[in-house]
Amino acid sequence: MKGLLHYQFANYIRTHKYVPPVSVFIMILIINYTFIPNPILDSYSFTSLVLFFIMGWVTITILHAEDQGLQQLTILHAKNKSGYYLALVINCAFVGLILSIVAVVYPIVFHVFKPGLLTIHIVIGFLAHFSLVILSIALSLFFTRELVKSNVNSWWGVISILVVSLALAVAKADILKVKILTWILPPLRYSLEIMSVGDKFTSVPVLVYAQFAWIFIYSLILITIFIVVVSKSRKL
Amino acid sequence: MDVFIELKNVTKKFKNISVLEGVSLSIPSREITAIVGKNGSGKSTLLKMIGGLTKPDSGQIIFQNGEPVRIGYVPEVTPVVIPFTPREYLTYMGKIRGLPIEWLQKRINSLLEIFHMEENQNTRIEHFSKGMKQKVIIMQAMLEETDLLIMDEPLSGLDLNAQTEFERLLISLKERDISVILTCHETRLLEKVVDRILVIHQCQITYTRNQHIQDEPMNRIVFELSNTVSLNLLREKVTIEKEKETSSGHRLIELSVSKEQTNKIVREFLDRGATIQLLAPLEGENDFYDSFKKGVEIQ
Repeated sequence: MKGLLHYQFANYIRTHKYVPPVSVFIMILIINYTFIPNPILDSYSFTSLVLFFIMGWVTITILHAEDQGLQQLTILHAKNKSGYYLALVINCAFVGLILSIVAVVYPIVFHVFKPGLLTIHIVIGFLAHFSLVILSIALSLFFTRELVKSNVNSWWGVISILVVSLALAVAKADILKVKILTWILPPLRYSLEIMSVGDKFTSVPVLVYAQFAWIFIYSLILITIFIVVVSKSRKL
Repeated sequence: MDVFIELKNVTKKFKNISVLEGVSLSIPSREITAIVGKNGSGKSTLLKMIGGLTKPDSGQIIFQNGEPVRIGYVPEVTPVVIPFTPREYLTYMGKIRGLPIEWLQKRINSLLEIFHMEENQNTRIEHFSKGMKQKVIIMQAMLEETDLLIMDEPLSGLDLNAQTEFERLLISLKERDISVILTCHETRLLEKVVDRILVIHQCQITYTRNQHIQDEPMNRIVFELSNTVSLNLLREKVTIEKEKETSSGHRLIELSVSKEQTNKIVREFLDRGATIQLLAPLEGENDFYDSFKKGVEIQ
């Protein structure tokens, strides 16, 4: 696994496919914090949503970093298809982790927040970013070339699923009143609800952590389904 | 003749369409075997089954009488972009395979020497010609000690110079006791190096020819024999190229033997209760009939 992780990351870096999404994210971050002071959780909420979309981009580029001939050879050496895809997902999460840290630390380092920043804000800010990173990876995986033949459909698919997830979370549509659907639809709304409480709090109820936990569990279930499906496919 | 790989009644279907049907053949060790056939004829499927990447629906594939064989696989698609140098790429692949790093470095050094790539070991592969890229792809298949190298369409896209170099490479692999099985559309390009040609047509291996002894006159013989008769002893003396079950509890067995050996082999089969279904010269069958007809006319 260590060899796979190292190789896939080195390959991703050498292809330079990370440059556009990472640059766009950094630019948005800088532009967002041009004027000061800024509200804490509102700002984190915005950058976490931006990262949610950026991670769709990152996921596709990481999963498509090797050309298909090269991928075939790597899987043969790994002798384990599920291990190969798990390593790719871990690499996506690693890039997402770095971007989450950058998004949380940047406004602190440059002192662009209103006074009153507490450790709990930083913790919630990080959880908001990283939970949406994992959710975005999980949703985007289903639109990679492993399951979608056309490259164009991959991009449209990822954008669509991420936009629909956000629209459902923001619109508070009637559809969400159907209980079963609240479990099936991407739990993006939990993050938005948590982040809209304002900055004046000093502690967080356990329910908030449970809601973040659900975003992670939901994403891990999707990631597991993806790995099982692609591992069983005949494509090699 | 050592039988390296033996396929017994191998059948493979994709979505209910037969790709291979009851294929039986033997491949000797330390030889270069080419599998020829049209697109979609089942060449790659046969190759993948031999390489253990796909399982047959029925039938058996036996290696070296059951002993393990170390197989290297070179797929049809040559990667376009490999953003590493040969040494970097081979090191990564070796690490992914879990090979010990010191052993791996020695192995990479020896592969670079075999493939005459020492000078290019630190140049990015993406700047290589197709022929050089292919060398790297063959090298990755040989990272572990290899007994058998399987190559899917290794000639595709190679220019004349690269093809000549590839021929030289095949000869050097053979000299190192590595067996090679490859697929191609036509064998004319590899005539000098290929020992054995298998032609896939209509889900069957329809014709095999041993290039190695092509100058020696050969006969093609087809026997019909009861299923109950064992051929184990005979398999040591000849290579059975095709075996097909017939409805009457019998099977058809096809083999090519040298003219010199023909009487002896025929006698051995007849002693086992076989009946001859066909006996004809392998090359120049028409010339044989022509000269035969002439002989009749003279009489």
